[in-house]
Amino acid sequence: MSRLEKPADLEKLRDQIVAQRNSKSKWLAVCAGTGCRAYGAETLADSLEEEIEKRGMGETVGVRRTGCHGFCERGPLVVVEPSGLCYLGAQPKNVPAIIDTLSSGDGAIDKLFFQDESGKPISHVDEIPFYKHQKRVVLENNVRIDASSILDYIAVGGYSALAKALSGMTPEDVLNEVKKAKLRGRGGGGFLAGRKWETTRNAHGDPKYVIVNADEGDPGAYMDRSILEGNPHGVLEGLILGAYAIGASEGFIYVRQEYPLARNHAQKALEEAREYGLLGKNILGTAFSFDVKIHRGAGAFVSGESSALMSAIEGHVGEPRPKYIHTSEKGIWGKPSCLNNVETWANVPHIINKGADWFCSMGTEGSKGTKIFSLVGKVTNTGLVEVPMGITLRDIIFKIGGGVPKGKKFKAVQTGGPSGGVIPESLLDLPVDFDELTKVGSMMGSGGMIVMDENTCMVDTARYYTNFLAHESCGKCVPCREGVRQMLIILNRITSGEGKEGDLELLEELSEFMEAASLCALGQSAPFPVKSTLKYFREEYVEHIKDKRCQAGVCSALIAYDIDQEKCEACGACLRNCPVNAVNKSEDKVFTIIQEKCIKCGACFTACPEKFGAVIKVPAYTMQKQPATAALIDNKA
Amino acid sequence: MDASKQVTSEHTMPPLDVLIIDDEETFAEACSQTLESKGYRVVVAKNGQQGLQMAGTAHPSVVLLDLKMPGMDGMEVLGRLGKIEPTAVPIVVTGHGTVDSAVESMKIGAFDFITKPFEPEKLLESVRRAKGLSVIRKESAAGDQPHSSNKYDLLLQGLDVLGEAYSMGLEKRQLLDELTYLENEAKYHAGSLGQIKKKERAILDIRNELLEADAIMRKYEFQKNALIQVLLDVQERFRWLPRHILNWISGRLNIPLREIYVIANFYEAFSLEPRGRHIVQVCTGTACHVRGASETLTRISTMLGLQPGQTDSKQEFTLETVHCIGCCALAPVVQIDSQYHRDPPRSKLEKIFKSLKKEEAEECLA
Repeated sequence: MSRLEKPADLEKLRDQIVAQRNSKSKWLAVCAGTGCRAYGAETLADSLEEEIEKRGMGETVGVRRTGCHGFCERGPLVVVEPSGLCYLGAQPKNVPAIIDTLSSGDGAIDKLFFQDESGKPISHVDEIPFYKHQKRVVLENNVRIDASSILDYIAVGGYSALAKALSGMTPEDVLNEVKKAKLRGRGGGGFLAGRKWETTRNAHGDPKYVIVNADEGDPGAYMDRSILEGNPHGVLEGLILGAYAIGASEGFIYVRQEYPLARNHAQKALEEAREYGLLGKNILGTAFSFDVKIHRGAGAFVSGESSALMSAIEGHVGEPRPKYIHTSEKGIWGKPSCLNNVETWANVPHIINKGADWFCSMGTEGSKGTKIFSLVGKVTNTGLVEVPMGITLRDIIFKIGGGVPKGKKFKAVQTGGPSGGVIPESLLDLPVDFDELTKVGSMMGSGGMIVMDENTCMVDTARYYTNFLAHESCGKCVPCREGVRQMLIILNRITSGEGKEGDLELLEELSEFMEAASLCALGQSAPFPVKSTLKYFREEYVEHIKDKRCQAGVCSALIAYDIDQEKCEACGACLRNCPVNAVNKSEDKVFTIIQEKCIKCGACFTACPEKFGAVIKVPAYTMQKQPATAALIDNKA
Repeated sequence: MDASKQVTSEHTMPPLDVLIIDDEETFAEACSQTLESKGYRVVVAKNGQQGLQMAGTAHPSVVLLDLKMPGMDGMEVLGRLGKIEPTAVPIVVTGHGTVDSAVESMKIGAFDFITKPFEPEKLLESVRRAKGLSVIRKESAAGDQPHSSNKYDLLLQGLDVLGEAYSMGLEKRQLLDELTYLENEAKYHAGSLGQIKKKERAILDIRNELLEADAIMRKYEFQKNALIQVLLDVQERFRWLPRHILNWISGRLNIPLREIYVIANFYEAFSLEPRGRHIVQVCTGTACHVRGASETLTRISTMLGLQPGQTDSKQEFTLETVHCIGCCALAPVVQIDSQYHRDPPRSKLEKIFKSLKKEEAEECLA
């Protein structure tokens, strides 16, 4: 296929592709995102292909390796098109049965379907509660295309927004549409994308740059990766539209080194787009020229900050600079540079195609459209969910996420990554929206949503984030560098049972100081995890300091492992799994833990069969005197 | 005669380092002082005849040779020296440097060609390198004698020093000439050496490494601002950032080594120490943390006897923590090489580690 010389050529190409593909009546969409690959999705796809070939069905049935479907908890996932049957946790041994159902009408394999609470199988993808309550706009195409093929993307309507813009819209029109849609940046701050674009457009300096921020650094969040992996052309199309509106001639995709698949797919997308004349000189035969380079980030959380990211692209250390002048005016090499994250760019083609009014029909007053969250932690259905803004946290966690597993009690949900905060159960009916989350002391962030249950210690959570930030602080400004360090020292003290009176007040004082005096958003928001846990779970801190107890059984210095002799069935699982031989077996088969040897790795606790639940966590101080099974914190029974 | 006095004392004195053959007394004196100040043992011969005689009896490591001398001239001495004392490494020093004479002297075995006047540092540097080479030559000549087990190490050390020195000042063309010379040197001794294959390979390896670094830089058109991308590729290729390659990059991209180290230290993707052949990564992302990643880490750390960030002495395993590998459904997840495992218990880990070690042993045998 040669270059597309005018916008109308795209439609012709699309018709051709669709006509060609109609020969195959059925498709098996196998999720090949990183999550499902970890479960062996590639082997599965291989054996599906083999089986189809073996049965001579290659003419009518196709296998498509797609991006992330979202329901990572139950991978590898296979969705049958057009019937919409959804197989969960499929293994190579299930392949013949899956193919059987294709030829003998759409039968069913119950055990591979989702089962509701009563055990009734739900076969159809749209009926599964996890998907049913979602509103998929950006993620929609992930299931429908093979990310490494531009033809797949064009077949489902890809690049039509670009053709539309280049054939009938001026750059101002594109800009105005995005402004009208009130699209807010999905990377964290929620700044209006249209306004940012306009600043760069009006700024003096040439060339102008547009940048995709795919330096997703939040631990526990992988939305951007899944979009870039699953639908790189969608992001690219948004970026090209942005460049057109802003008047930029060069672009960058800044992607983390840790995401090799996303990088490869993005690289392939650039090459293919160039080949078809959708990128490079005279895009679609018009006067508009624009090209994109990929820059790999070498792993530094702070490099996701706009000025730091741009400094990294220039080849320097990724440290932020004071932003008296925004990067949208003076960014890379001092030129106007517009930075948005992956999800923000991916929204743009939809806005241009369907219009700002359609976009504004979703969401709340201040936050329009949908938002993707990575719903992880102590939740039954781990995965990526895309929901309209304004949905409540309760709906996300319980309706879509299926609540907390193993009948444990929900404690809190953490949003916004290391710069966010925790939200307690009392606020679960809060509508999810940029402003509402900020009001309760958390933030939208890029979309990490970590569910915590009664076995999660909130002091430890604060310590965890503070430790992360202490590691990631670039050290350029004192309030952040020293502030986070001091906070960490205090929190380490508290979690190891050496907290003292006045510690909490000191933490609060430090928080205030860091928020006011730090150079960039990393430092300014670094105290949020501490502040929000203190706000909602102060009693846990007090308990750690005064009673030297960790109710959740997490802080290892405050707990000890013990074996409840009444429940112990002497199966020896703990003994076999202990890496340091700290489990003692006496002659009459009484198992005990030698406290001096124990490294508190929890191996025995995990190994002890759930039906016995004999290994228990007890407060550490009780072990110094006698085994106090009475004071147990948690047991599995 | 001065010389004979020194020759007779040979048995009680440690071996001679440098023999200077030059008819200009003041110059020879200056060189001699410079070298002695750095602890080299030096003797001076006033003409070629005397020089060759002393070379044959005193076994110097390095010979500094003037080209223009009354009687037997430098070229002739150079030609004969190879037969009389093959392990001595000759350096030609002359006030009448021409390209022709340089090429000619290199052809018949000179290691380096220095034109007068020169800075003392230049002389010292050249002698230091030449001495390194002489050590290798002496070892090689000694053949299968007991010390041979260290040869490989010595060679590597020598090459490391070379690589470092070259990338600081020399141009690529010069460096390649030198390395080609070294290669020939290794081949020269091929007949008498059992280990020669290995040595040759070591030399080629280093040369190839630098060439590979060049290929990486070429991909980015030797642009300074591509430094991070270059380092990422080097890290990917070599599993760490070896110093000689950083030196080389510094020279090629004209970026101070200090700046390269600042970047290498700042970003997590870079390692300044060799990493293991197998990487054990414990994910400590938030999702994994709330599901007990720190306990998993304690367990694995104890089993491997490594703290996060450490590599064992055999460079088999490196233990690391990572902030989220995006497989939150498998939390707490451990990635060993390219395989993902959900909170593996001790027995499973033992099996994995054992099979990885076995694989390696088989590879070595093959």
